[in-house]
Amino acid sequence: MWRWINSRWPAIFRRRRMEDDLQRELQMHLELEAEEQCADGVAVEDAPHTARRALGNATLVSEDVRESWGLAWLEHFLRDLRYGARSLRKSPGFTVVAVLTLALGIGANTAIFSAIDALVLRPLPFSDPDQLVRVYSIKNGATNTFANPDGPSALDVRDFAQRSHSFQNMVAYDTWRKNVSFGDFGSEPEQMRVGLVPAAYFEVLQVKLVMGRLFTTEESQEGQNFVAAISAQLWRNRFGADPSILGRQLRINGEPYTIVAVMPDVAPEWVEAGRLDSMEIWTPFGFSEVWAESARGDRGYLALGRMKPGVTVAQAQADLTVVADALAAAHPVDQGVSVVLKKLDDTRAGSLRPMLFLLMGAVGLILLIACVNLANLLLVRNSARQRELALRAALGSARGGLIRQLLAETLLLSLLGSAAGLLLAKAALVSVTKMQVDAMPQLASVAIDWRVLAFTLAVSLATALLFGLAPALTGTRVNLVEALKQGGRSAMAGKTATRMRNILVAAQMAMSLMLLVGASLLVQSMLRLEHQNLGIRQDHLLKGHLYIPPIRYPNSGAITRFCDQFADRVRALPGVVSATVTTIYPPSNGWVQMLGIPGRAVTRIQDIPMAQFGVADAHFRETLGIPLMRGRDFSEADIATSAPVALISQEFQRQFFLVQDPVGQQIHIGPPAFLQVTPGTNVSDASDVTIVGVIGDFRNVGLALPPEPQIVVLYAQHPFVNYGFKEIVIRTAVAPPQLAPAIGRQLHELDSEIPFAEVQTIEDLVARETSSERFTTVLLSSFAFAGLALAVIGIYSVVSFLVAQRRQELAVRVALGASGPNVFWLVVKQGLGMAAIGAAVGLCGAWATQKLTSKLLFGISAVDPATFAAGTLLLLAVAAIASAIPGARVLQIDPASTLRQD
Amino acid sequence: MTLRTPANRAELLQGTLDMLILRTLLFGAAHGHQIAKHIQRTTQDVLQVEHGSLYPALHRMERKGWISAKWEAAQEGNREFKFYRLTKAGRAQLATQESRWKQLARAIALVMNPASSEE
Repeated sequence: MWRWINSRWPAIFRRRRMEDDLQRELQMHLELEAEEQCADGVAVEDAPHTARRALGNATLVSEDVRESWGLAWLEHFLRDLRYGARSLRKSPGFTVVAVLTLALGIGANTAIFSAIDALVLRPLPFSDPDQLVRVYSIKNGATNTFANPDGPSALDVRDFAQRSHSFQNMVAYDTWRKNVSFGDFGSEPEQMRVGLVPAAYFEVLQVKLVMGRLFTTEESQEGQNFVAAISAQLWRNRFGADPSILGRQLRINGEPYTIVAVMPDVAPEWVEAGRLDSMEIWTPFGFSEVWAESARGDRGYLALGRMKPGVTVAQAQADLTVVADALAAAHPVDQGVSVVLKKLDDTRAGSLRPMLFLLMGAVGLILLIACVNLANLLLVRNSARQRELALRAALGSARGGLIRQLLAETLLLSLLGSAAGLLLAKAALVSVTKMQVDAMPQLASVAIDWRVLAFTLAVSLATALLFGLAPALTGTRVNLVEALKQGGRSAMAGKTATRMRNILVAAQMAMSLMLLVGASLLVQSMLRLEHQNLGIRQDHLLKGHLYIPPIRYPNSGAITRFCDQFADRVRALPGVVSATVTTIYPPSNGWVQMLGIPGRAVTRIQDIPMAQFGVADAHFRETLGIPLMRGRDFSEADIATSAPVALISQEFQRQFFLVQDPVGQQIHIGPPAFLQVTPGTNVSDASDVTIVGVIGDFRNVGLALPPEPQIVVLYAQHPFVNYGFKEIVIRTAVAPPQLAPAIGRQLHELDSEIPFAEVQTIEDLVARETSSERFTTVLLSSFAFAGLALAVIGIYSVVSFLVAQRRQELAVRVALGASGPNVFWLVVKQGLGMAAIGAAVGLCGAWATQKLTSKLLFGISAVDPATFAAGTLLLLAVAAIASAIPGARVLQIDPASTLRQD
Repeated sequence: MTLRTPANRAELLQGTLDMLILRTLLFGAAHGHQIAKHIQRTTQDVLQVEHGSLYPALHRMERKGWISAKWEAAQEGNREFKFYRLTKAGRAQLATQESRWKQLARAIALVMNPASSEE
C-alpha cells in the first residue's frame, strides 16, 4: 500500500513537472533521431519529419505514458464531471428540483444523525467512559419505568464496593435544590441544584480539575463540609473567570461555603436527561446518619461505579447480584431488593433515545422516497436523451463509459444536494434547539462536526449510487438501430424502464403511507397524553418551590408557622382564589410511603402496603380542584394538637378498603415495627391517622401511567415528615404568571434568604413532561408531510411523463371517438393503480412495525384501524389529484394538430 | 510491435518488450533512443521497436520500480538525457521473464519442430 502511494503521489502533486519532463524526453529523442537520419543521408530539412514519423503520433504516445502514471481514471472522472456539469446546466429546471429533493432528504438525515451522534454515539467526555455504570436498586423485581428507577442506599453502595470484585471504585451521592447566593456577585438568592458528593465522585469520573483540589475525607464529615466546588461555566458566568476564585465564599441555605475547586463542565447530570438541571455546584456528601445501619433502607441515592478494565457490564452485574443477595439475607430491609447496572452512556439520552431511532428510521424513509423520485426523474431524462446516448454509443463509447458518465452526473447532483442539505440541517438544528433547549438540555450538545460531515458525505455517495445506478443501467441499454431510426419521434422507453418506474412509485407510496400512519398515531397519542383528565382542574394553577433552611427553621413548628404565614399572605393577594402549601403537585408526586392498615398483618417486606404520600395544609383539595367523594375535607380546625387526619384517593380505597367504609378507619404511616431498626427513624410510632374523606383520583406517577393509591396528611400534624422542602400551589383568577412577582415579594418580606423558585404553571409542567414526545411528534409529522409531498411529486411526474409519451396514442383514441372522461380515466387509472399497490404494501409495513411503534404510543393501538383507513384514504386522494392534473391535459389534446406533428 | 493492437495480443508482446528493455539495461544506463537503437541493432533490424511504444513501457517500468531514471549529461556534448538504470527489482524481474521466455520458446520449438525434440 505504501509503495502504491509512494509511486503515485508524485504523479498527483507534481503533475506539471512530470508533463514537462516527458515532453523534454520526447524532444531529445526526436533530436537524436533527426541527427541519425541526417547521418543516414536524409536531407537536413526533412529529418525532423522523418523522426516524427518514426516516433508515431506524439500526442498518443504522451497519452499512453500518462496512462502509465496511473492517473487515467482521474482524468476520465474529471472529464465526466465536467460533462455532467455542462449537461446539468443545460436543464436548470431538472437540476433545481433534483438538488432540492436531495437537500430535503439528506438534510433531514444529517439533522437527525447529528442528534444521535451527540446523544448516543459520541463518547462521553470522561476517560474510558465504557467503564462507567449507574447503579440502581429495584424493589420486588418491579421493572420500574426507565425515567425513575430507584437508587440504592448509601450503605448498600458501600457494601457493593467493598464486597464486589469488578469495580475500581463506586460512589453514592445526592443532589438537592438549595438556595444559593453569591455574595457580592449577586445578592438575591436563587435555587440551584447542588450535588452532594464525596471526593470519590470526581475520582470515579476521572475528572481533571480546572483548578483547586478535591474534597478531603474530613470534609465529608458533618459539620466540616463547608467547602464547595463550582463548574467552569458558573465560574465564567458568575465570577468572570476570576483567577483568584479559590478561597472565596458563597452562601448555600444561608451558610457560608468556601470555594476550593473549579470543575470542568462535565457531570453525568449535565449530559443526561432533561428532568434534571445541570449541576453547577458540589459540596461534600457530609451526612453522618446515612452510614448508620438504621439507614440501610433509606434508598434513592444516585450511584456511579467505574468497572475494572476488561470487565463487562454483565460480569459486574452478576458480581453485584451475589453481593445484593447476601445483603438481602443479612438485612431484612434489603429483602426483595435487587441491583441493576446500566451503562452511563445508555442513560444520557433519557426518554429521547427510542424516539431518536424512530426518527432516524423516518428520515431514512424520506431519503429513500427522495431517491426514488430522483431515480424516476433520471429515468425520464435518460429516455429523453436516448438519441444522445445512442449517438455517443455509435461514435464508439463503451456502455461502461456511458454508465460512468451518467453516474458522474448523479454524483454531482448528490454532492450539490448534500451541500444544500447541510445548510438546511444547520438551520433546522438552530431553530429546534432554540425551541426545545429549556425542556431538553441534552439537545444543546447537538452540533454538526466532522463525524456528521463524514456521515453526510457517505450518505450522499450511497444516495448517488442508489438513485443513479438503475436509471444508468436501463438508460444505457440502448438499441442503436431502433433509437436512431425513430428519428424525431419521441422514443418509447423500454418496457424495463416503464416497469421500473411503476415499481418505484409504488414503493414510494408505501413508504410515505408508513410515515403518514406513524405520524398520525403519534399525534393522537400526544393529544391524548396532553389533554387527558389529570383529576385536577389544571387551568389557572401556578406552582413554586420553597426551601426552608433548617438553620433558621430548626423544627416542625417553625416550618409550619412559616408556611402558614406565607400561604395567608398569598391568599390575601388580589387575583388569588386560593393557595396551599404542599408537597404534591400533579402529575407527579414522587414520595412513596409504607403503611400499616388494620386487618392486614404483614410479615414479609414484599407485602407491606405502599402508597403515594404527601403533606399539605387544609386548602389542598379546594385549591387543586379535586372532587370530594365521601366524608369531609381537611378544615382549619385540624391543627397540630388535634387528632391527625388523612384524605385518601378512590384508588386507595379500591386497593385497601374493598369492603368496609374507609372513613373513620385508622391507618399507620410508616414501616411496620419489624422493619424499624431504631424507632422513629422514618415516621413516628405515634403517626396513626384517621381517614376523614375520600377524594377523586389524580395523576400522581406521571402522565402515562394510571393513578396510584394516594394519601394526603397535614404537615402540621406530622413533625417527622415536615421537611423544609415544600411547594406552594396557587389558584388564580387572572393569568397565573402575572402573579409571580407579587408572590415573590411576599416571600422576600417574610424571609429575604429564601428564593421563590421553579415558578411554573401546572399546564407548563404538563407540557414539559411531554416535551420529548412533542419534539418527536412535531418532527415526525413534518417528515411525514415532506414524504407525502415527495411522493406526490413522484406520482405527478410519472403520470405526466406517461401522458407525454402516449400523446399520439391518446390523440388517436380521441380521434376515433373516445370520450373525454374515458381518456381521462385511462390516465388517472395508472396513477391510482400504483398508489393502491403502494398503499397495500405500506399498510403491511406499518402493521409489521407495530412492535416498535407500540412502545412509543399512549392510549392508542399501533394498528388503530381508523388511523390506517384515514391514512390510506388520504394517500389515495392525494395520488388521484396528482394524477388528475396531468390527466386534465389529455382533455385538451387536439387530435388534428397532435397527429400532424409527426 | 504496433501500438494499437487488440488487448489479448498486446500483453504478450508488451511483456516481451519489457524483457528486451531490461536486458538492454543490463549493460548499463541508457536513454530511450539508445535502448531503441540497441534492440534494433542487436536483432539485426529484425525487431523495429516502434518508438511510440517504448516510452509508455519505460514509464510503466519506472513506476513498478524495475528501473530508475535520472537526467544526466551525455558523454559527448553537453546535452542532458533521461538515463534509465536497472534496479535490484528489475534484475529479479529480468530473471523471471527470461526463464519464462525460455520455457515458452522451448514449448513453441516442441510444437514447430517435433522431430528434433524426440532425439
